[in-house]
Amino acid sequence: MTSFIRRNRTLLLIIAIVIVIFGGTIRTMEPKVWVSIMLSGLTLASLYFLVASGLSLIFGLMDVLNFAHGVLFVLGAYVGLSTFLNPRLFFNTLPVFFMLIAAVMMAQHLGRAFWPHVNSKRRQHLANIVLLLAAGSILYLALRGFPIRALNAFNITAVGGAVTTANAQEPMAMMFRRLLLVALAGVPIGILLSPRERQEEVPLRPIWQTALISGSAAVIGIVLLLVRDTGEIWMLALSPDFRFLLAIIMGTIAGALGGVAIETGLIRPFYGNPVTQLVLTLGLSIAGIDLIEAVFGEEANPPMPPPTLFGQSCRSDTFINWFSEHCQSVDVLGRAFPTYRLFIIVVGVVVFAAVGLMLRRTRLGMIIRAGVQDSEMVQALGINVRRIFTLVFALGSGLAAMGGVIAAPYLGVFPGMGAIFQLQAFIAVVIGGMGSFIGAAVGTIILGMARAFGDHFVAAGIHLPFLDAVVKGSPAIARASTVLIMALVLLIKPSGIFGKKE
Amino acid sequence: MAPSQKNVLEVRNIQTFIGQFHILDGVSVEVPDGSITVLLGRNGAGKTTTLKSILGLTPPRSGAIVFNGKEIQGEPAFRTAAKGIGYVPEHRAIFRDLSVAENLRIAERKSGDLARREEFIFGLFPDLKRLIKLPGGNLSGGQQQMLAVARALVPDNQLLLIDEPSEGLAPVVIEQMMEAISRLSAHTTILLVEQNFIMASRLADRYTIIETGRSVKSGMMADLIDDEASIQRYLGAAA
Ligand SMILES: Nc1ncnc2c1ncn2[C@@H]1O[C@H](COP(=O)(O)OP(=O)(O)OP(=O)(O)O)[C@@H](O)[C@H]1O
Ligand SMILES: [Mg+2]
Repeated sequence: MTSFIRRNRTLLLIIAIVIVIFGGTIRTMEPKVWVSIMLSGLTLASLYFLVASGLSLIFGLMDVLNFAHGVLFVLGAYVGLSTFLNPRLFFNTLPVFFMLIAAVMMAQHLGRAFWPHVNSKRRQHLANIVLLLAAGSILYLALRGFPIRALNAFNITAVGGAVTTANAQEPMAMMFRRLLLVALAGVPIGILLSPRERQEEVPLRPIWQTALISGSAAVIGIVLLLVRDTGEIWMLALSPDFRFLLAIIMGTIAGALGGVAIETGLIRPFYGNPVTQLVLTLGLSIAGIDLIEAVFGEEANPPMPPPTLFGQSCRSDTFINWFSEHCQSVDVLGRAFPTYRLFIIVVGVVVFAAVGLMLRRTRLGMIIRAGVQDSEMVQALGINVRRIFTLVFALGSGLAAMGGVIAAPYLGVFPGMGAIFQLQAFIAVVIGGMGSFIGAAVGTIILGMARAFGDHFVAAGIHLPFLDAVVKGSPAIARASTVLIMALVLLIKPSGIFGKKE
Repeated sequence: MAPSQKNVLEVRNIQTFIGQFHILDGVSVEVPDGSITVLLGRNGAGKTTTLKSILGLTPPRSGAIVFNGKEIQGEPAFRTAAKGIGYVPEHRAIFRDLSVAENLRIAERKSGDLARREEFIFGLFPDLKRLIKLPGGNLSGGQQQMLAVARALVPDNQLLLIDEPSEGLAPVVIEQMMEAISRLSAHTTILLVEQNFIMASRLADRYTIIETGRSVKSGMMADLIDDEASIQRYLGAAA
């Protein structure tokens, strides 16, 4: 017990100081005020956490600072919003993706036959360039003039003059031409991606398995395209709650796939070269937002309507009543608090518990914890660490994207929505300790609270303990407070509250 | 050991670079089945790098590594290890945040590996049994070294690469470690790095001396013990 106190002296000191300041401040407020401020803080904390937890795991395991994490948050929000309000987009774009994936998978077998014939380094280099050019130009031909903006024009509805589905979609024949070209473009891409050096020798699946999988992908794509009109009507007729669930699932999957793409494309070729990785993810954080703007438009969308579960315009007296009434707000000590924000908090808690259990109780979790400390030794035990890296990247990215989806009804959806979350998540991870999952949770709660109380401090002023006058802050102080907290924590404990890694 | 005996491992003239640095410039080692072979050499000679090259952690640029008659150079480390090579690294590399039990369980390649080997492992290192719930980081240096060896024993390994097991340990613990390694050699082949010449000479059947990234001499340990001139020349005051 005494050794515990000695080892965690700084931590306990911080907690004691926080409790004194916090308790002193809260004493001057009515309970209903500070409780609702705290709930607002937890709402923010939950969203920060969904971004920060992945960031922290990725840094801990791979020593990669993923600056593109905010992009995944935005991607999740847009994919979620489109699933919810504009399924037309997916019926017209998913077939293209499915076709591309099918072609790439098949072409990897071609690559297996192709690369052994290219035996000098120079020729390999040449082949790379030729294949890249081929893939690029065929893809360009395949996608040239694709009416992506028209397919996305649903948000104009609010202003009037929405593009109707029939006008936005291209004729079927045109779409099939595009599918054919995309399949063609998949061939050089598949050859490029097929393993060629012994170092990365990955046994491919038997060819009949690949044919089966990519065949079904192609068929699914074509079917989606064929049923696009009835499919859209059917989707929009589903209950909003179910569509919202679908939005979360689709957004999370899109984020996870985005993470896999980032890891295999930008990070994996440059392990041991952290500066390159940093610059690449930084570049992607800008280019990624541009890409999202190009696809989804630059205008801010109105907040996604919350699902009907949280949408009835009434106020429940207790949480119990909410279960039958589904009111948009609930009475907390005499003040109304939006139930959707409580849902955001619940999602954060559930994700924390689920990932925490995974880390503590499963073999995968054990390997991740070990890898955070020494990934070379994990490798030396016969475990394919690179595969774990990709998996963790997918998990972290999926969580960030999930954060984007559930933030959409709360914040609205716009290209810049990820920047602040990215920044706050970074600060939270630094405060909590790089690579520590618990640290990410604690860091985000501290930041969420600082932000919520800071905003209150700006709007209403606060009685500081032992002072009579009400002190009001400027918005700049509220915004700077998180950075101040970070500086303070780093002064006391340079590796962050739960940090072990330097 | 008769020269006709089959070698579990043969390292043939490997060249290893780390970044721009040319670390190994022609290392060859033979490790006969069932033997303990020791790598000797001064600090910074390249002993650790030789072990890491065998495993694929620092893959050699040229030369061959033959394990059980098959060339394995150039394969990623996890695949080499899974072929049946256990690694006990310099400085132990215990997972500090994992419990002793987890440190052992993570080394399983098939489920049930640990259950099968438990008795044998705790027979060698009885101390570990009572420490099983502690975090690895709370163990003493000697206990961590035992855990590092134990971890390499969990799966079926045909060859163990053990790097300086006596480093920084008290004489009593060194004695215990030697006892354990000599008992181990009845079950597996061992390639050992050991600076402590007394320990090396008592354990090893064969030796290879590495000097500035090159293997310069190898043979039977019994012959080296009497070869004062070589000891003086290659190992200096170490003997
Ligand atoms: N990552 C690295 N970058 C550059 N040089 C390195 C690196 N790792 C090792 N070296 C150099 O390679 C040489 C061999 O190192 P190695 O660790 O294999 O020696 P060793 O024989 O195990 O020494 P010791 O007995 O001190 O453990 C040393 O000169 C060392 O400085
Ligand atoms: Mg060494």
